[in-house]
Amino acid sequence: MSEVETSPVARTHGVRDVEVRVWADAEQVPLLRSFAADIAMRMDFDLDAIEDLRMAVDEACSLLVRAAAPDSALLCWFEPVDAGVRVRARVDAEHAEPPSSDAMGWQILTALAAAVTEQVEAVDGGHRISVELYAVPGTAGVDPR
Amino acid sequence: MTTTPAGDEPGKAPDKGSADVDRFRELAALAPDDPRRAALRGDLVADHMDLARNLARKFDRRGDQLEDLIQVATIGLIKAVDRFEADRGNFYAFAIPTIMGELRRHFRDTGWAVRVPRQLKELHVTVAAGRNELSQKLGRAPKPSELADHLGLTKEQVYEALVASAAKQGTSLDARLAEPAGDRFGYEDDRLEEVDNRRALSPLIAELPEREQKIIVLRFFRGMSQADIARRVGVSQMQVSRLLAKTLERLRAALGEDTLAG
Repeated sequence: MSEVETSPVARTHGVRDVEVRVWADAEQVPLLRSFAADIAMRMDFDLDAIEDLRMAVDEACSLLVRAAAPDSALLCWFEPVDAGVRVRARVDAEHAEPPSSDAMGWQILTALAAAVTEQVEAVDGGHRISVELYAVPGTAGVDPR
Repeated sequence: MTTTPAGDEPGKAPDKGSADVDRFRELAALAPDDPRRAALRGDLVADHMDLARNLARKFDRRGDQLEDLIQVATIGLIKAVDRFEADRGNFYAFAIPTIMGELRRHFRDTGWAVRVPRQLKELHVTVAAGRNELSQKLGRAPKPSELADHLGLTKEQVYEALVASAAKQGTSLDARLAEPAGDRFGYEDDRLEEVDNRRALSPLIAELPEREQKIIVLRFFRGMSQADIARRVGVSQMQVSRLLAKTLERLRAALGEDTLAG
């Protein structure tokens, strides 16, 4: 338990970077959703912000699972940063369809997270699709008081 | 309904309780296999169904489970009829706590989709109440740390309660099937017919007062429950329900149609 690499955020909340790897299958999405909610809870997000992040991660992962190649993995990173948490999720896909082509899903995602970006890059024999979202601890976090 | 034996004195307020006592004495006197026993027992239960219904209604918080609750209350009533000893006096005094106990047990044991230890259920109730209080006080959703301070709990206890409450309602395994995993391309959008209404709706929604707008959006575009909306907007669930009904009526009238699903 070395403290050398502990960031100030991790020291404050006891939450460090988390990396999760699951099958890119709709069945696994609830698992990631729960991870997200638990991390937000431990970072003391307000309860609405926790729910928002839970739903945002659900949506992001669902979009990626639909695009993923059969029998592939969904990778998800949760990274506490000073003002909030950054979540990155990634799958390998056969087609280069960006997640935002699902207009409804993308709209939900952008409404729930403070910032969302997507990336589609060509890799050997296919494409790598990622979604990165950034969430903040809720209105309490930006309260000037 | 059977005619009640002696005991109904004219002029006196109908003392159902004491008339019942005679029937309960009769019931107790009949042998277990006497066919009259089953008939009398059935009558006694049927004659007190109003009581069961009435008590069930007191526990009905969501409106959609009244029938279930009446069933539970009826089980309580049957137990009360079976266990009541006529010598102990008024049937109501015995039946009411029996039925209430059955209803409470129903909420305690089956209110959760997943079995959760008793302590955790109680913790959940405490945290849920604290959440409501703090939401009102702060005008926003509280943080887990604020809940812990407010309730005199450790943060871990609050975490446990929050995680447990996520398990309170299960989701049908079929729910996942409703969301197709791969074949989402090239099907005819069956919502196409709604387009006209939807286009007409958005300017109407934009005209609504801010609070009504927010409630409509949270309810129908975010699919939040009325209780969640109440917490978030900072009004009671009754108010949310009333505002929703009023606003929908207004929108329906403006669209000149009555098919908008509530």
